[in-house]
Amino acid sequence: MLRRLIGSVLVMWAVATLVFFMLRLVPGDPIGAILADAGGPEEIANMRRKLGLDQSVFIQYVKWFGNMLQGDLGRSIYGSRIPVTQILVEAIPRTLSLALLAFLIAVIIAVPAGIISATRRNSVTDNAVSLLAFLGLSMPDFWLAILLIIVFAANLQWLPAIGYVPLADGFWPWLSHLILPAIAIGTAFSAIIARMIRSSLLEVLKADYMRTARAKGLTTPMIMLGHALPNAMIPVITVIGIAFALLISGAVVVENVFAIKGLGRVLIQGILNRDYPVVQGAVLVVSAIFVFSNLIVDLLYGVIDPRIRLN
Amino acid sequence: MTKPDKTVLKRMRALWDDAHDFDPKDPMFGLSAKEMSGPKLSRRATLRLLAASGALTAAHLVPGVSGMARAASHGGGGTLQCGWAGVAEIQTLDPAQIGQVLQFQIASNVLSGLMHIDAALVPQGDLAETWEVSEDGKTYTFKLREGVTFHNGDAFDADDVMYTFERSSDPDKSIHSKVLANVASLEKLNEFEVRFTLKAPQASFLTKTLERASGRAMTIVSRGAIESMGESNYGLAPVGTGPFKVTEHVLGQGVTLEKFADYYDPERPKLDKVVIRPVDGVEPIAAALEAGDIQYIGGNPIAAQLIDRFKANSDLVVDVQPGPGFQSVWMNPWRDPMKVTDFNKPIEELKKEKGFMVRLALAKALDRAAYVKQAHFGYAVPGYGTINPAMAFYYDEGIAETSEQAFDPEGARALLAEAGFPGGEGFPELDLITTPAQKRNGLVVANIYKTVLGIKVNVTPKEFSVGIEDFNNMEFDMRLGGSGGDYDPDDGVVDWMKTSSKFNGRTRDMDKYPTGYFSSTEADALIDQQSVTANLDQRKALVQQANQITSDKVACGFLYHPVDVQVRHKSVNFPAESRIPGLHDFDRVTLG
Repeated sequence: MLRRLIGSVLVMWAVATLVFFMLRLVPGDPIGAILADAGGPEEIANMRRKLGLDQSVFIQYVKWFGNMLQGDLGRSIYGSRIPVTQILVEAIPRTLSLALLAFLIAVIIAVPAGIISATRRNSVTDNAVSLLAFLGLSMPDFWLAILLIIVFAANLQWLPAIGYVPLADGFWPWLSHLILPAIAIGTAFSAIIARMIRSSLLEVLKADYMRTARAKGLTTPMIMLGHALPNAMIPVITVIGIAFALLISGAVVVENVFAIKGLGRVLIQGILNRDYPVVQGAVLVVSAIFVFSNLIVDLLYGVIDPRIRLN
Repeated sequence: MTKPDKTVLKRMRALWDDAHDFDPKDPMFGLSAKEMSGPKLSRRATLRLLAASGALTAAHLVPGVSGMARAASHGGGGTLQCGWAGVAEIQTLDPAQIGQVLQFQIASNVLSGLMHIDAALVPQGDLAETWEVSEDGKTYTFKLREGVTFHNGDAFDADDVMYTFERSSDPDKSIHSKVLANVASLEKLNEFEVRFTLKAPQASFLTKTLERASGRAMTIVSRGAIESMGESNYGLAPVGTGPFKVTEHVLGQGVTLEKFADYYDPERPKLDKVVIRPVDGVEPIAAALEAGDIQYIGGNPIAAQLIDRFKANSDLVVDVQPGPGFQSVWMNPWRDPMKVTDFNKPIEELKKEKGFMVRLALAKALDRAAYVKQAHFGYAVPGYGTINPAMAFYYDEGIAETSEQAFDPEGARALLAEAGFPGGEGFPELDLITTPAQKRNGLVVANIYKTVLGIKVNVTPKEFSVGIEDFNNMEFDMRLGGSGGDYDPDDGVVDWMKTSSKFNGRTRDMDKYPTGYFSSTEADALIDQQSVTANLDQRKALVQQANQITSDKVACGFLYHPVDVQVRHKSVNFPAESRIPGLHDFDRVTLG
């Protein structure tokens, strides 16, 4: 476990270092964008010096790395130079709220759909579920997001079109702002998970121990919940783990459509603006999420199947 | 657009003509020191000053924008929900760091200046109660408003003006230090009196340098708040003396402004609260407005494709006004086949050079009417220079006909053929850099070139930070871009068309591209001369001559001038006196 944790930290360091240097290799100069209408060559040089961007990339890296080890991720180089930690601390709860709700929606749809589809293989229901799954997979999330806004916000006016309200301001205001974006993100993931459950269950249902279970006189629900599902969940859990990490880091487009500044939006905005400290901080968090999602998935394997043990 | 009433138009035209109908021989623009002083400028004095500074715009000719318009008679209170278009976050509200119009649109509701222009672009005393101008036009003495407090309870006095000046003059603390370059000194005369001494008379001193919104350099900040909050937090939630105070600013989620009960004018603000949310998407902001989530759109210009849709919605009010700015197709004169390394030749001689023939062909081929229709759904004005219609006095209405760039498909094809590319044959593919948001506009330009000249232009969207670097380094074939917020000829010709202009390849390799994207000694001389010419007619002539040269010699392919569009729900009473082009002052707004 300790070796695994050390490995995880090394992966995060490698990713952050790679991003640090790659970001400076790609074209794009933040200074011109920062100064916009406010300066000529002298001001550009002055701003570059002020932000330490006139130093060699290696010196910049050493400084950033030293500060990072002390918990200082630096400050955004734009506007009022807000600390990166503050930007991330504000963004993470929004992303977590959205990801958890989207995840919940995906699982609520996917599990029954996958089971029904597998147990009624090649039936009308199976075909219908498969068709819906393909539709869910094919629809771009931004398109679905806009469709949801037009129908449920603009026309029916049931739910708000944009924005985010913290949970502290009330459960319903929080939930109402998240339902549409969560559906937009969760739909595609529910399709993936449903297809995964279906194929995995089909494999398991063919196994000898399933016949034994039936021979013992167990009911179908007992067989499904007690024997089939736990055994079918190993590959599904792997997919869910990756999906959850993707939900947290990659809901950029939907966050943009619904004007929610989550982690993905912070990262993309940082990249577009060449806001180096923000990108580096966000990449660290995202890589941590991926590394620890994988770790949790690995631990879950052992919980679901006692035969699997982590060394 | 709003249709002008003939009687009002006649009256406004008379005021307009009077503003320009003089021939001053002194630096006071034909006004006496008394006329220049306040507490209030006369309309005549104001219009002359504005005309002299170039800030007198065509908006004066449109009824409904006049300062004479009555205020809405609705009651106060309530919360106004706003969407700020085309932006993911409001990065700062600290005037020293504000680099975008959409930022000072908000800051103008929170912070005060010594002066603030009204809807007629007349400079009104904001924190200045009265002011006196010396006979030589170089000394401005301000009596400050007493009894004003900052949102944190600190009292406002001359020390705050001194502190703001000191902070803004320091290039390490403010990106606008150059705005104060013409100020020789600022003295505190007593607790409520300060005196500016200028190096040279400056007609735009009240309307630009001291303006609370667009000026930024002398927008009054609170020393106590900056020291206690720190620069970063101050940038998120600045403490000022304005009608609203910032009670919450969550980066990327929005800004909440609440009524400042101790504002110096007890009649304002009317609203209890204004919530501003950045929305970076065309359809989401439209849906949010139509759903009633927001009642007002500010921020970046509204996407042209939405304007007719909003107009068709009886719940919405759409108001279109002239907008200041220009957009162009920039052509790198250091790259073949449009290479011209010396523009200092008579135009007829230039026309014999193949590189210039190509440049002129590319400029002449721009079917601006079609472009405006296709790219902006008709909501823009074809452009032929940096001087825009909002600078009405200086704007040359005949330039569409007189410019060498006037649309002439036959002439463009003939030039291209003469340059060795008949029917576009053998012409290399050129890259046109746009921002991702401008990609569609770039495609319209590319299609026009394909149709008119038979050449292929590849539209290359690049993020602003990348595109601007290419432009600054002179590493581009063609680029779609330009300027906004230009009220004075200096904003156009000085900032863009001089060899030493701040945008002329500001980080270019000076050995490789010594003169940037354009350089004309004749234009430089005219531009320098107009900057110090007090005589309005003379200045106008100089500005128009310089503008004509830059247009004829194809400094770039001038494309269009934007319009200013305001969209709000009909329940939002936005009084005409607050309708300042480019700004969104909410202090007089009511909900009804």
